[in-house]
Amino acid sequence: MSQSETPVIELKNVNKHFGDLHVLQDVSLSVKKGEVVVIIGPSGSGKSTLCRTINRLETIDSGEILIEGEPVPQEGRKLAELRSRIGMVFQSFNLFAHMSILDNLTLAPVDVLKIPRKEAREEAMKLLERVGVADQAKKVPAQLSGGQQQRAAIARALAMHPKAMLFDEPTSALDPEMIGEVLSVMTELASEGMTMLIVTHEMNFARQVADRVIFMDGGKIIEENTPDAFFEHPASERAQNFLKTIRDH
Amino acid sequence: MSIQALLTEYGDKYLQALLTTWRLTVISFAAAFLIGIVITVLRVCPIRPLRMFGDFYVQIFRNIPGAALLILLVYALPYLQIIFPYDACVLIATILIPSAFCSEHLMSGMNTISPGQIEAARALGLTFFQMIRRIIIPQALRSTVLPMTNLLVATMLTTSLASQVPMRPRDLTGLVSYINTRAAGGVAAFVISAALYCATALVIGAVGSLIDRKVRILR
Repeated sequence: MSQSETPVIELKNVNKHFGDLHVLQDVSLSVKKGEVVVIIGPSGSGKSTLCRTINRLETIDSGEILIEGEPVPQEGRKLAELRSRIGMVFQSFNLFAHMSILDNLTLAPVDVLKIPRKEAREEAMKLLERVGVADQAKKVPAQLSGGQQQRAAIARALAMHPKAMLFDEPTSALDPEMIGEVLSVMTELASEGMTMLIVTHEMNFARQVADRVIFMDGGKIIEENTPDAFFEHPASERAQNFLKTIRDH
Repeated sequence: MSIQALLTEYGDKYLQALLTTWRLTVISFAAAFLIGIVITVLRVCPIRPLRMFGDFYVQIFRNIPGAALLILLVYALPYLQIIFPYDACVLIATILIPSAFCSEHLMSGMNTISPGQIEAARALGLTFFQMIRRIIIPQALRSTVLPMTNLLVATMLTTSLASQVPMRPRDLTGLVSYINTRAAGGVAAFVISAALYCATALVIGAVGSLIDRKVRILR
Protein backbone atom coordinates (compact mmCIF):
# COMPACT_ATOMS: atom_id res chain seq x y z
CA MET A 1 0.00 0.00 0.00
CA SER A 2 1.41 3.37 -0.96
CA GLN A 3 -0.63 5.01 1.79
CA SER A 4 1.24 4.77 5.09
CA GLU A 5 -1.88 5.62 7.07
CA THR A 6 -3.94 2.77 8.53
CA PRO A 7 -7.38 2.61 6.91
CA VAL A 8 -10.27 3.50 9.25
CA ILE A 9 -12.27 0.50 8.05
CA GLU A 10 -10.73 -2.57 6.51
CA LEU A 11 -12.34 -5.85 5.48
CA LYS A 12 -10.18 -8.80 4.48
CA ASN A 13 -11.68 -11.81 2.72
CA VAL A 14 -14.95 -11.63 4.64
CA ASN A 15 -17.41 -14.48 4.17
CA LYS A 16 -20.89 -14.85 5.55
CA HIS A 17 -23.74 -17.28 5.01
CA PHE A 18 -27.42 -17.05 5.82
CA GLY A 19 -28.17 -20.76 5.88
CA ASP A 20 -27.23 -22.00 2.40
CA LEU A 21 -27.04 -18.51 1.00
CA HIS A 22 -23.50 -17.22 0.65
CA VAL A 23 -24.30 -13.52 1.22
CA LEU A 24 -20.76 -12.20 1.43
CA GLN A 25 -18.18 -13.92 -0.74
CA ASP A 26 -14.58 -13.13 -0.02
CA VAL A 27 -15.24 -9.42 0.33
CA SER A 28 -12.26 -7.15 0.85
CA LEU A 29 -12.35 -3.40 1.01
CA SER A 30 -10.79 -0.52 2.84
CA VAL A 31 -11.91 2.99 3.63
CA LYS A 32 -9.27 5.59 4.34
CA LYS A 33 -9.64 8.54 6.65
CA GLY A 34 -11.83 11.21 5.11
CA GLU A 35 -12.90 8.98 2.26
CA VAL A 36 -16.50 8.65 1.14
CA VAL A 37 -17.27 5.22 -0.25
CA VAL A 38 -20.67 4.45 -1.72
CA ILE A 39 -21.88 0.89 -2.15
CA ILE A 40 -24.54 0.28 -4.74
CA GLY A 41 -26.07 -2.82 -6.19
CA PRO A 42 -29.37 -4.64 -6.66
CA SER A 43 -31.36 -5.67 -3.61
CA GLY A 44 -30.13 -8.91 -2.14
CA SER A 45 -26.59 -8.21 -3.31
CA GLY A 46 -25.30 -8.20 0.27
CA LYS A 47 -24.52 -4.50 0.50
CA SER A 48 -26.59 -3.89 3.66
CA THR A 49 -25.20 -7.01 5.27
CA LEU A 50 -21.70 -5.83 4.46
CA CYS A 51 -22.41 -2.49 6.10
CA ARG A 52 -23.82 -4.20 9.21
CA THR A 53 -20.86 -6.54 9.67
CA ILE A 54 -18.54 -3.59 10.22
CA ASN A 55 -19.85 -2.87 13.72
CA ARG A 56 -20.81 -6.50 14.16
CA LEU A 57 -24.57 -6.10 14.04
CA GLU A 58 -24.03 -9.12 11.79
CA THR A 59 -21.41 -11.69 12.64
CA ILE A 60 -19.12 -13.08 9.96
CA ASP A 61 -18.09 -16.66 9.26
CA SER A 62 -14.51 -16.02 8.18
CA GLY A 63 -12.17 -13.22 7.27
CA GLU A 64 -11.17 -10.20 9.22
CA ILE A 65 -12.60 -6.77 9.95
CA LEU A 66 -10.30 -4.07 11.29
CA ILE A 67 -11.26 -0.68 12.64
CA GLU A 68 -8.26 1.67 12.72
CA GLY A 69 -6.11 -1.42 12.46
CA GLU A 70 -7.74 -3.21 15.39
CA PRO A 71 -9.78 -6.36 14.86
CA VAL A 72 -13.47 -6.00 15.82
CA PRO A 73 -13.93 -7.73 19.20
CA GLN A 74 -16.32 -10.68 19.46
CA GLU A 75 -18.57 -9.34 22.21
CA GLY A 76 -18.90 -7.59 25.54
CA ARG A 77 -17.52 -4.28 26.72
CA LYS A 78 -14.76 -4.16 24.10
CA LEU A 79 -17.25 -4.53 21.28
CA ALA A 80 -19.48 -1.85 22.83
CA GLU A 81 -16.48 0.45 23.05
CA LEU A 82 -15.63 -0.11 19.39
CA ARG A 83 -19.22 0.45 18.32
CA SER A 84 -19.23 3.77 20.15
CA ARG A 85 -16.52 4.95 17.76
CA ILE A 86 -18.46 4.10 14.61
CA GLY A 87 -21.63 6.02 13.89
CA MET A 88 -24.51 4.24 12.22
CA VAL A 89 -27.60 5.52 10.47
CA PHE A 90 -30.37 3.08 9.62
CA GLN A 91 -33.04 2.90 6.99
CA SER A 92 -35.81 3.10 9.59
CA PHE A 93 -34.18 5.86 11.73
CA ASN A 94 -34.50 3.78 14.93
CA LEU A 95 -34.78 6.71 17.29
CA PHE A 96 -35.71 5.75 20.84
CA ALA A 97 -39.48 6.12 20.88
CA HIS A 98 -39.90 7.01 24.55
CA MET A 99 -37.42 9.86 24.63
CA SER A 100 -37.34 13.41 23.35
CA ILE A 101 -35.10 14.09 20.37
CA LEU A 102 -32.68 15.86 22.69
CA ASP A 103 -32.53 12.87 25.05
CA ASN A 104 -31.96 10.60 22.07
CA LEU A 105 -28.84 12.62 21.33
CA THR A 106 -27.49 12.84 24.88
CA LEU A 107 -28.15 9.26 26.03
CA ALA A 108 -25.02 7.62 24.66
CA PRO A 109 -22.61 10.54 25.20
CA VAL A 110 -23.67 10.66 28.88
CA ASP A 111 -23.94 6.92 29.53
CA VAL A 112 -21.16 5.61 27.31
CA LEU A 113 -18.66 8.47 26.97
CA LYS A 114 -19.41 9.83 30.47
CA ILE A 115 -19.70 13.38 29.20
CA PRO A 116 -21.35 15.68 31.78
CA ARG A 117 -25.06 16.06 31.04
CA LYS A 118 -24.97 19.81 30.64
CA GLU A 119 -22.13 19.66 28.17
CA ALA A 120 -23.84 16.85 26.25
CA ARG A 121 -27.03 18.89 25.97
CA GLU A 122 -25.22 21.93 24.65
CA GLU A 123 -23.39 19.85 22.09
CA ALA A 124 -26.63 18.07 21.15
CA MET A 125 -28.40 21.36 20.54
CA LYS A 126 -25.56 22.48 18.29
CA LEU A 127 -25.83 19.28 16.29
CA LEU A 128 -29.61 19.59 16.01
CA GLU A 129 -29.08 23.14 14.82
CA ARG A 130 -26.64 21.88 12.24
CA VAL A 131 -29.05 19.31 10.80
CA GLY A 132 -31.93 21.79 11.03
CA VAL A 133 -34.20 20.20 13.64
CA ALA A 134 -33.27 22.22 16.73
CA ASP A 135 -36.86 23.44 17.03
CA GLN A 136 -38.00 19.81 17.42
CA ALA A 137 -35.65 19.02 20.33
CA LYS A 138 -38.37 18.63 22.95
CA LYS A 139 -40.64 16.44 20.83
CA VAL A 140 -40.66 12.64 20.70
CA PRO A 141 -39.70 10.91 17.44
CA ALA A 142 -43.26 10.06 16.38
CA GLN A 143 -44.08 13.78 16.24
CA LEU A 144 -41.46 14.37 13.54
CA SER A 145 -41.56 13.73 9.81
CA GLY A 146 -39.41 10.93 8.43
CA GLY A 147 -36.86 13.37 7.06
CA GLN A 148 -36.61 15.16 10.39
CA GLN A 149 -36.25 11.85 12.21
CA GLN A 150 -33.46 10.74 9.94
CA ARG A 151 -31.63 14.03 10.34
CA ALA A 152 -31.99 13.70 14.11
CA ALA A 153 -30.66 10.14 13.83
CA ILE A 154 -27.61 11.43 11.97
CA ALA A 155 -27.12 14.01 14.72
CA ARG A 156 -27.43 11.26 17.34
CA ALA A 157 -24.62 9.33 15.67
CA LEU A 158 -22.49 12.49 15.34
CA ALA A 159 -22.89 13.22 19.05
CA MET A 160 -20.52 10.31 19.71
CA HIS A 161 -17.73 11.97 17.70
CA PRO A 162 -17.41 8.91 15.49
CA LYS A 163 -14.28 8.06 13.56
CA ALA A 164 -16.45 6.94 10.67
CA MET A 165 -20.13 6.84 9.78
CA LEU A 166 -22.04 3.95 8.27
CA PHE A 167 -25.24 4.70 6.38
CA ASP A 168 -27.48 1.73 5.64
CA GLU A 169 -29.91 2.95 2.97
CA PRO A 170 -30.65 6.15 4.88
CA THR A 171 -33.23 7.48 2.42
CA SER A 172 -35.01 4.29 1.34
CA ALA A 173 -37.85 4.68 3.87
CA LEU A 174 -38.46 8.34 3.10
CA ASP A 175 -41.08 10.07 1.02
CA PRO A 176 -39.48 11.57 -2.09
CA GLU A 177 -39.83 15.15 -0.90
CA MET A 178 -37.81 14.37 2.21
CA ILE A 179 -34.90 12.60 0.58
CA GLY A 180 -33.21 15.85 -0.42
CA GLU A 181 -33.00 17.25 3.09
CA VAL A 182 -31.27 14.11 4.38
CA LEU A 183 -28.89 13.91 1.43
CA SER A 184 -27.89 17.54 1.85
CA VAL A 185 -26.95 16.88 5.49
CA MET A 186 -24.86 13.94 4.30
CA THR A 187 -23.25 15.97 1.53
CA GLU A 188 -22.26 18.61 4.04
CA LEU A 189 -20.84 15.94 6.33
CA ALA A 190 -18.79 14.53 3.46
CA SER A 191 -17.43 17.95 2.56
CA GLU A 192 -16.32 18.42 6.17
CA GLY A 193 -14.07 15.40 5.81
CA MET A 194 -16.09 12.71 7.63
CA THR A 195 -15.13 9.16 6.74
CA MET A 196 -18.28 7.59 5.35
CA LEU A 197 -19.47 4.27 4.03
CA ILE A 198 -22.87 4.65 2.41
CA VAL A 199 -25.23 2.03 1.08
CA THR A 200 -27.73 3.79 -1.14
CA HIS A 201 -29.88 3.74 -4.24
CA GLU A 202 -29.45 7.47 -4.85
CA MET A 203 -27.24 7.46 -7.93
CA ASN A 204 -26.97 11.21 -8.41
CA PHE A 205 -25.95 11.61 -4.80
CA ALA A 206 -23.39 8.81 -5.16
CA ARG A 207 -21.92 10.49 -8.16
CA GLN A 208 -21.64 13.84 -6.43
CA VAL A 209 -20.19 12.88 -3.07
CA ALA A 210 -18.42 9.57 -3.50
CA ASP A 211 -14.66 9.32 -3.75
CA ARG A 212 -15.16 5.74 -4.74
CA VAL A 213 -18.10 3.63 -5.85
CA ILE A 214 -18.32 -0.07 -5.09
CA PHE A 215 -20.74 -2.17 -7.07
CA MET A 216 -21.91 -5.38 -5.44
CA ASP A 217 -23.93 -8.24 -6.81
CA GLY A 218 -24.54 -11.75 -5.53
CA GLY A 219 -22.47 -11.21 -2.40
CA LYS A 220 -19.37 -10.12 -4.31
CA ILE A 221 -17.70 -6.85 -5.07
CA ILE A 222 -17.91 -6.76 -8.85
CA GLU A 223 -16.46 -3.39 -9.53
CA GLU A 224 -14.73 -0.57 -7.70
CA ASN A 225 -13.97 2.77 -9.32
CA THR A 226 -14.23 6.54 -9.16
CA PRO A 227 -17.83 7.68 -9.60
CA ASP A 228 -17.24 9.28 -13.00
CA ALA A 229 -15.49 6.25 -14.40
CA PHE A 230 -18.05 3.87 -12.92
CA PHE A 231 -21.15 5.70 -14.09
CA GLU A 232 -19.73 6.60 -17.53
CA HIS A 233 -17.97 3.37 -18.35
CA PRO A 234 -19.00 0.49 -16.11
CA ALA A 235 -16.60 -2.34 -16.87
CA SER A 236 -18.70 -5.36 -15.96
CA GLU A 237 -21.79 -6.49 -17.75
CA ARG A 238 -23.69 -6.76 -14.48
CA ALA A 239 -22.97 -3.15 -13.60
CA GLN A 240 -23.96 -2.08 -17.11
CA ASN A 241 -27.27 -3.91 -16.79
CA PHE A 242 -27.88 -2.54 -13.32
CA LEU A 243 -27.29 1.04 -14.37
CA LYS A 244 -29.41 0.54 -17.46
CA THR A 245 -32.39 -0.71 -15.43
CA ILE A 246 -32.12 2.24 -13.13
CA ARG A 247 -31.84 4.79 -15.94
CA ASP A 248 -34.76 3.35 -17.83
CA HIS A 249 -37.03 4.47 -15.00
CA MET B 1 -78.33 -9.75 59.99
CA SER B 2 -78.84 -6.66 57.90
CA ILE B 3 -75.96 -4.76 56.38
CA GLN B 4 -76.71 -1.89 58.71
CA ALA B 5 -76.58 -4.08 61.81
CA LEU B 6 -73.34 -5.68 60.61
CA LEU B 7 -71.75 -2.29 60.06
CA THR B 8 -72.80 -1.08 63.50
CA GLU B 9 -71.40 -4.13 65.18
CA TYR B 10 -68.37 -4.90 63.02
CA GLY B 11 -67.70 -1.53 61.35
CA ASP B 12 -64.33 -1.03 62.98
CA LYS B 13 -63.36 -4.62 62.17
CA TYR B 14 -64.26 -4.08 58.51
CA LEU B 15 -62.10 -0.98 58.47
CA GLN B 16 -59.23 -2.89 60.00
CA ALA B 17 -59.73 -5.74 57.51
CA LEU B 18 -59.77 -3.30 54.59
CA LEU B 19 -56.51 -1.75 55.77
CA THR B 20 -55.03 -5.23 56.16
CA THR B 21 -56.05 -6.17 52.63
CA TRP B 22 -54.58 -2.92 51.35
CA ARG B 23 -51.37 -3.49 53.28
CA LEU B 24 -50.97 -7.03 51.92
CA THR B 25 -51.76 -5.79 48.42
CA VAL B 26 -49.26 -2.96 48.46
CA ILE B 27 -46.43 -5.05 49.90
CA SER B 28 -47.15 -7.97 47.57
CA PHE B 29 -47.43 -5.87 44.44
CA ALA B 30 -44.35 -3.78 45.15
CA ALA B 31 -42.23 -6.87 45.79
CA ALA B 32 -43.78 -8.80 42.88
CA PHE B 33 -43.07 -5.85 40.61
CA LEU B 34 -39.40 -5.67 41.53
CA ILE B 35 -38.92 -9.43 41.35
CA GLY B 36 -40.81 -9.45 38.05
CA ILE B 37 -38.37 -6.92 36.59
CA VAL B 38 -35.34 -8.88 37.80
CA ILE B 39 -36.73 -12.16 36.44
CA THR B 40 -37.47 -10.48 33.12
CA VAL B 41 -33.92 -9.17 32.85
CA LEU B 42 -32.68 -12.72 33.52
CA ARG B 43 -34.97 -14.04 30.80
CA VAL B 44 -33.42 -11.82 28.14
CA CYS B 45 -29.82 -11.69 29.37
CA PRO B 46 -26.98 -13.17 27.28
CA ILE B 47 -26.22 -15.93 29.81
CA ARG B 48 -28.17 -19.06 28.96
CA PRO B 49 -28.46 -20.69 32.42
CA LEU B 50 -29.88 -17.44 33.81
CA ARG B 51 -32.37 -17.26 30.95
CA MET B 52 -33.42 -20.83 31.67
CA PHE B 53 -33.79 -20.08 35.36
CA GLY B 54 -35.98 -17.07 34.58
CA ASP B 55 -38.24 -19.09 32.28
CA PHE B 56 -38.41 -21.92 34.81
CA TYR B 57 -39.37 -19.50 37.60
CA VAL B 58 -42.20 -18.07 35.53
CA GLN B 59 -43.47 -21.50 34.46
CA ILE B 60 -43.58 -22.63 38.09
CA PHE B 61 -45.25 -19.66 39.71
CA ARG B 62 -47.58 -18.82 36.87
CA ASN B 63 -48.98 -22.32 36.88
CA ILE B 64 -49.35 -23.14 40.56
CA PRO B 65 -52.64 -22.35 42.33
CA GLY B 66 -52.26 -19.84 45.12
CA ALA B 67 -53.97 -22.07 47.65
CA ALA B 68 -51.65 -24.96 46.82
CA LEU B 69 -48.60 -22.76 47.23
CA LEU B 70 -49.88 -21.45 50.55
CA ILE B 71 -50.55 -24.97 51.86
CA LEU B 72 -47.04 -25.93 50.82
CA LEU B 73 -45.57 -22.98 52.69
CA VAL B 74 -47.65 -23.45 55.82
CA TYR B 75 -47.80 -27.24 56.14
CA ALA B 76 -44.95 -28.71 54.09
CA LEU B 77 -42.02 -26.43 54.84
CA PRO B 78 -42.12 -27.15 58.59
CA TYR B 79 -41.07 -30.73 57.72
CA LEU B 80 -37.85 -29.15 56.42
CA GLN B 81 -37.52 -27.22 59.66
CA ILE B 82 -38.50 -24.03 57.83
CA ILE B 83 -41.24 -22.27 59.69
CA PHE B 84 -42.50 -18.89 58.58
CA PRO B 85 -45.10 -16.84 60.45
CA TYR B 86 -48.57 -17.06 58.89
CA ASP B 87 -48.56 -13.57 57.45
CA ALA B 88 -45.15 -14.18 55.90
CA CYS B 89 -46.48 -17.36 54.26
CA VAL B 90 -49.37 -15.42 52.79
CA LEU B 91 -47.06 -12.67 51.53
CA ILE B 92 -44.65 -15.13 49.95
CA ALA B 93 -47.51 -16.71 48.02
CA THR B 94 -48.99 -13.37 47.01
CA ILE B 95 -45.57 -12.13 45.87
CA LEU B 96 -44.29 -15.15 43.95
CA ILE B 97 -47.38 -15.73 41.85
CA PRO B 98 -47.95 -12.13 40.70
CA SER B 99 -44.21 -11.73 40.06
CA ALA B 100 -44.43 -14.43 37.37
CA PHE B 101 -47.36 -12.63 35.74
CA CYS B 102 -45.52 -9.31 36.03
CA SER B 103 -42.63 -10.82 34.09
CA GLU B 104 -45.01 -12.14 31.42
CA HIS B 105 -46.51 -8.67 31.01
CA LEU B 106 -43.05 -7.12 30.73
CA MET B 107 -42.04 -9.68 28.11
CA SER B 108 -45.03 -8.74 26.00
CA GLY B 109 -44.26 -5.07 26.62
CA MET B 110 -40.77 -5.64 25.25
CA ASN B 111 -42.25 -7.01 22.07
CA THR B 112 -43.66 -3.57 21.34
CA ILE B 113 -40.11 -2.22 21.01
CA SER B 114 -38.91 -2.26 17.43
CA PRO B 115 -35.78 -4.41 16.97
CA GLY B 116 -34.24 -1.42 15.19
CA GLN B 117 -34.09 0.51 18.46
CA ILE B 118 -32.10 -2.30 20.03
CA GLU B 119 -29.73 -2.26 17.08
CA ALA B 120 -29.38 1.49 17.38
CA ALA B 121 -28.57 1.15 21.08
CA ARG B 122 -25.95 -1.48 20.32
CA ALA B 123 -24.52 0.60 17.50
CA LEU B 124 -24.13 3.53 19.92
CA GLY B 125 -22.01 1.35 22.20
CA LEU B 126 -24.48 0.79 25.01
CA THR B 127 -23.77 -2.27 27.15
CA PHE B 128 -26.48 -4.84 27.85
CA PHE B 129 -27.36 -3.30 31.21
CA GLN B 130 -27.39 0.25 29.87
CA MET B 131 -29.73 -0.93 27.14
CA ILE B 132 -31.98 -2.70 29.65
CA ARG B 133 -32.06 0.28 31.98
CA ARG B 134 -32.46 3.10 29.50
CA ILE B 135 -34.28 1.61 26.53
CA ILE B 136 -35.95 -1.71 27.22
CA ILE B 137 -37.40 -1.57 30.71
CA PRO B 138 -38.69 2.02 30.43
CA GLN B 139 -40.53 1.22 27.21
CA ALA B 140 -41.79 -2.12 28.47
CA LEU B 141 -43.17 -0.46 31.61
CA ARG B 142 -44.78 2.40 29.78
CA SER B 143 -46.57 0.11 27.36
CA THR B 144 -47.88 -2.23 30.08
CA VAL B 145 -49.59 0.13 32.50
CA LEU B 146 -53.03 -1.36 31.86
CA PRO B 147 -52.01 -5.03 32.26
CA MET B 148 -50.10 -4.03 35.39
CA THR B 149 -53.23 -2.33 36.69
CA ASN B 150 -55.08 -5.60 36.19
CA LEU B 151 -52.27 -7.41 37.93
CA LEU B 152 -52.58 -5.09 40.92
CA VAL B 153 -56.29 -5.90 41.17
CA ALA B 154 -55.56 -9.60 40.77
CA THR B 155 -52.93 -9.35 43.49
CA MET B 156 -55.46 -7.75 45.80
CA LEU B 157 -57.89 -10.58 45.16
CA THR B 158 -55.12 -13.12 45.73
CA THR B 159 -54.49 -11.69 49.20
CA SER B 160 -57.81 -13.27 50.19
CA LEU B 161 -55.64 -16.37 50.66
CA ALA B 162 -54.95 -14.82 54.04
CA SER B 163 -58.40 -16.07 55.09
CA GLN B 164 -57.07 -19.64 54.89
CA VAL B 165 -54.60 -19.22 57.73
CA PRO B 166 -55.14 -17.94 61.26
CA MET B 167 -53.62 -14.55 60.56
CA ARG B 168 -54.29 -11.49 62.71
CA PRO B 169 -55.52 -8.90 61.93
CA ARG B 170 -57.87 -10.55 59.45
CA ASP B 171 -58.18 -9.48 55.84
CA LEU B 172 -61.55 -8.74 54.18
CA THR B 173 -62.26 -12.37 53.29
CA GLY B 174 -61.02 -13.67 56.63
CA LEU B 175 -63.35 -11.31 58.42
CA VAL B 176 -66.36 -12.71 56.56
CA SER B 177 -65.57 -16.21 57.82
CA TYR B 178 -65.06 -14.84 61.28
CA ILE B 179 -68.39 -13.04 61.33
CA ASN B 180 -70.24 -15.96 59.84
CA THR B 181 -68.93 -18.41 62.42
CA ARG B 182 -69.86 -16.10 65.28
CA ALA B 183 -73.15 -14.72 64.07
CA ALA B 184 -75.53 -15.35 61.21
CA GLY B 185 -74.03 -12.62 59.02
CA GLY B 186 -75.12 -14.50 55.95
CA VAL B 187 -74.75 -13.08 52.50
CA ALA B 188 -74.74 -9.52 53.82
CA ALA B 189 -71.35 -10.08 55.45
CA PHE B 190 -69.99 -11.09 52.05
CA VAL B 191 -71.63 -8.17 50.30
CA ILE B 192 -69.83 -5.63 52.46
CA SER B 193 -66.42 -7.19 51.80
CA ALA B 194 -67.21 -7.53 48.11
CA ALA B 195 -68.18 -3.86 47.93
CA LEU B 196 -64.90 -2.86 49.54
CA TYR B 197 -62.90 -5.03 47.10
CA CYS B 198 -64.82 -3.55 44.17
CA ALA B 199 -64.42 0.03 45.36
CA THR B 200 -60.68 -0.47 45.70
CA ALA B 201 -60.47 -2.09 42.26
CA LEU B 202 -62.38 0.81 40.70
CA VAL B 203 -59.98 3.31 42.17
CA ILE B 204 -56.99 1.25 40.99
CA GLY B 205 -58.51 1.04 37.51
CA ALA B 206 -59.13 4.77 37.30
CA VAL B 207 -55.64 5.66 38.48
CA GLY B 208 -54.18 3.08 36.05
CA SER B 209 -55.98 4.61 33.08
CA LEU B 210 -54.78 8.04 34.11
CA ILE B 211 -51.17 6.90 34.32
CA ASP B 212 -51.50 5.03 31.03
CA ARG B 213 -52.67 8.16 29.25
CA LYS B 214 -49.76 10.13 30.73
CA VAL B 215 -46.95 7.73 29.87
CA ARG B 216 -48.18 5.93 26.77
CA ILE B 217 -45.54 6.01 24.04
CA LEU B 218 -46.45 7.74 20.82
CA ARG B 219 -45.60 5.49 17.90
